[in-house]
Amino acid sequence: MAITPPTRAPHPLETTSRADDAVVAGPHRRHAARLAAIAFVAPLVVYLVVFYGYPLVQNVAMSLQRYDRATFVSGGAPFVGLDIYREVIGQPKFWRIVGQTATFTLVSITVQYVVGLALAVFFQHNFRLSATLRAMFLVPWLLPVIVSGTTWQWMMNPDNGALNSLVGLFGVDPIWWLNADHALMSVIIANIWLGIPFNLVILYSGLQNIPTTLYEAAAIDGAGPWRRFWSITVPLLRPVSLITLLLGLVYTLKVVDIIWIMTMGTGTSQTLATWSYGMAFGKGASAVIRYSEASAVGGILLVIALAFGLVYIAVQRKSED
Amino acid sequence: MARSWWKTALALALTAVMLFPIYWMVNVSFTRRESIRKGQLLPLDFTTDHYRVVFSQQLPYLTTSLLVGVGTVVLTLLVAAPAAYGLAKLPVPGGRVLSFVLIVGQMIPAVVMSLGFYAIYNRIGMLDTIPGLILADSTLAVPFAVMLFTAFMRGIPNELIEAAELDGASYWRTFRAVMLPISRNSAITVALFAFLWSWSDFLFASTLDREGGSLRPITMGIYNYIGAQNQEWGPMMATAVVASIPTALLLVLAQKYVAAGVTAGAVKD
Amino acid sequence: MTRLNPRAAAGIGIMVVSGFALAGCSGGPTVAPGESGAASEGTTTAQITFWDPYPQRETGSEWDTLVKSCAPDGSTIVRSSAPQSDLFNQLTTAVKEGNAPDIVLLDNPMMPEASSAGLLATAEQAGIDTAGIDENLLGPGIVDGVAYGVPMGSNALGLYYNKNILDAAGVNPADIKDWASLNTAIEKVVASGKKGITFSGVAGEEGVFQFEPWFWGAGANLSDLGSAEAISAGQLVSDWIGKGWAPRSAATDNQSASWDVFLTGDYGFAENGSWFAADAAALKDFTVGMIPIPAKDSAVAPVPTGGEFAVAPLQSKDASDHYANASSVIACLTTGDKATATSEALGYLSAKADVRAAQVAANAMWTPWVSIVEGAQGRTSELGATYVDVSAALSQAEQGALNAAGDASGVEAAFKDASGN
Repeated sequence: MAITPPTRAPHPLETTSRADDAVVAGPHRRHAARLAAIAFVAPLVVYLVVFYGYPLVQNVAMSLQRYDRATFVSGGAPFVGLDIYREVIGQPKFWRIVGQTATFTLVSITVQYVVGLALAVFFQHNFRLSATLRAMFLVPWLLPVIVSGTTWQWMMNPDNGALNSLVGLFGVDPIWWLNADHALMSVIIANIWLGIPFNLVILYSGLQNIPTTLYEAAAIDGAGPWRRFWSITVPLLRPVSLITLLLGLVYTLKVVDIIWIMTMGTGTSQTLATWSYGMAFGKGASAVIRYSEASAVGGILLVIALAFGLVYIAVQRKSED
Repeated sequence: MARSWWKTALALALTAVMLFPIYWMVNVSFTRRESIRKGQLLPLDFTTDHYRVVFSQQLPYLTTSLLVGVGTVVLTLLVAAPAAYGLAKLPVPGGRVLSFVLIVGQMIPAVVMSLGFYAIYNRIGMLDTIPGLILADSTLAVPFAVMLFTAFMRGIPNELIEAAELDGASYWRTFRAVMLPISRNSAITVALFAFLWSWSDFLFASTLDREGGSLRPITMGIYNYIGAQNQEWGPMMATAVVASIPTALLLVLAQKYVAAGVTAGAVKD
Repeated sequence: MTRLNPRAAAGIGIMVVSGFALAGCSGGPTVAPGESGAASEGTTTAQITFWDPYPQRETGSEWDTLVKSCAPDGSTIVRSSAPQSDLFNQLTTAVKEGNAPDIVLLDNPMMPEASSAGLLATAEQAGIDTAGIDENLLGPGIVDGVAYGVPMGSNALGLYYNKNILDAAGVNPADIKDWASLNTAIEKVVASGKKGITFSGVAGEEGVFQFEPWFWGAGANLSDLGSAEAISAGQLVSDWIGKGWAPRSAATDNQSASWDVFLTGDYGFAENGSWFAADAAALKDFTVGMIPIPAKDSAVAPVPTGGEFAVAPLQSKDASDHYANASSVIACLTTGDKATATSEALGYLSAKADVRAAQVAANAMWTPWVSIVEGAQGRTSELGATYVDVSAALSQAEQGALNAAGDASGVEAAFKDASGN
């Protein structure tokens, strides 16, 4: 039997020139294929334009005009160009918040990914109850964030919370988890918990795609489990890993709920997303609504996501070559 | 045999750690208000009052959430699956751009999206309706769905499609008869995420379905327990528990299909 | 660079252009809310929308039934609720889109901002009768000399205590006449093995609301957050945290959570509001009493006025009819027979002296609260729309003080920073 080269999960941003190796017998056929393609994709395009185009324009427009509650209601907000952006970036806390956002995002997705991968690899072995337990790991997602956020807040209660009881077992003094200095660490822990299911599901599916014949062949050649992991699993899982990390990054940049419920973004737990949210709705320490500044911060988040999207494409192209 | 049990034990331990906050939620749902902040590991101050309250008040909201969830799944699949087929197998002009836009689109703050929706819905009278909410919730899942489906469909060998075309099938026929059945696993994964994300959505519901009465989802029903200066955590936790049970069952059932491989090729040697 | 760029730009460009097109046909200039319109010129409509911040008062509850019974003949009231800050934002969007409800109950410190943002019709336009209401309670609703609505009653803050714990510790609450005696009392309670005092120091207006009695009680003024008096108030609460007399969760507890902590029966004192008075009286686990919050050097500190105002949002079409709706329903709820029922259903003391007297006569539980309500001070009465900024700064200062946990330099820095804003 011929040995098939390992199939790997192709990634969505691969070039669409795959159409060239489809059955295309001549110009008429190609034209028909194009029309069909457009027909299939049309609903999505309309959907995107209507539901994403308008809010995108709205967001950018709001960040270029100086709004307050009164002008939001009756119109007439003056156009100020990039002034709002300059003011937002010029604030002393801006870079601190950017740093906190970076820490929050990078630590979260790294740990989520590593733990998700470890669990996915572990669940590859089919033992009793493995399917059920793997399903149970998704249960955190069923809970409204207000419930899970509040539960974490209680567990992190410095005086009688479960977490301090746990660390107390190891002889560590009770920690004031949610005070200004520790808030970032605490919300990262809760966010990691929230993100593990996503990573687990996607990575597990990616692992399923790797043919077991490869592992068997490697084992016969005398490769140990670590070697097999690094030489087979990691490279073949690469596209799925990259997409998981990218999506994880985009979703984590947007996270507001869990932080808000635990600390309202006070102290070091303030990220760009929570800052924008607080300003857009007049929640948190200040009840003043700052639509323009909120949109500007939202715009900055958009640019960051765009940048990482481009990085992703660049990495993908390199791996193709 | 012994090896298998050791792994099961470890898995149970890991799952227990992961689900500990859920245990805490159940613990509180059975505790009287006076003892909720005592931090006791077991519901020593036991009561079933909260559940009584929930069953008498929350069931209509659960039904609405279920309706919206199912609707979101259907809409997401309807929009995403054909588009993914186009992106994966057909020459879409600007396909790369579209994929890029899908990533960036997910970055638009939900806040901004909900305000945009409010303006549109207000003018066309779709506020406080279930279809309106379904439409809004689908934006949570569609980009992700397209990306997932596309990744999977690319992996389907072209031989299958060529075979169908040789039989004289049109593109639509190929899509329906060949792509869809093979994509069943990824469809179920997409359905799972779409359902879960719409189930836990609060922002769209509170902006667009404010005055829907009992036509509001459970995330808003829970807000009955959040008063101006008084929050009732017992009933809230009980609501969350009750709301989680049917969906947890759904999860266990669906997991079998998800397990079979979202990105698995259709033909494996 | 990748091949993507020019096409990406084109793709996003198309989305932007389409977005503008959509904005054009579905957005466009908003409908200007009507300046004209008066309740006297309109007639009530068949359906009346009523918004309040009490989502916990369900369909069929006492309050809900009361509101719906106030529908004029031939009309029905559709009532919906949302938490306060959400309500304010929803009102803003609704007025902008010309979709405003007929009546809204708005938290009193939001009144100046709401009126200056052009969200509210004047009391005169909406035919709302402001006669007979206590001046200090009506104050927040008067912006630049114009009245915009009437208070639905007032709640107030007091110092609840756990009688069982105080008796066991040998503390007589009547002895608490100032901060020094309060601290002594707390110290005795802690020495007897229990914990001291719970309060809410959460970020935002709720925490500021609970901090203001201590702030004003120290003699500080909202226009100067860096004064020695202000710092001393911060030091008071900071010390409680530092000594372990108050739970460290106070920095994230809102008033309800702080009450939950008190309910565990471990704490001797709780600063909380009159909305818990009925629950406190009915409590079976232990007996609860209440004394006014002490000032630094006297027995009663000024507390902020609490409660919501009934207002009529500005309408863009058929304004007079909407204002007629508002006039009718608000009059029904706040004047005449139902006034007492309104206050009782909400758990508030009425804003009118005569109705208050009737409430006290019917329920002795209200007696200690009357003087507190009558001495309450409006938060926005002096500062108007600038209160929001001051509140934000004060909230930050308090959070800094609580986090400092007794460290005097930390407290001072927190308040000095806040006053610099």
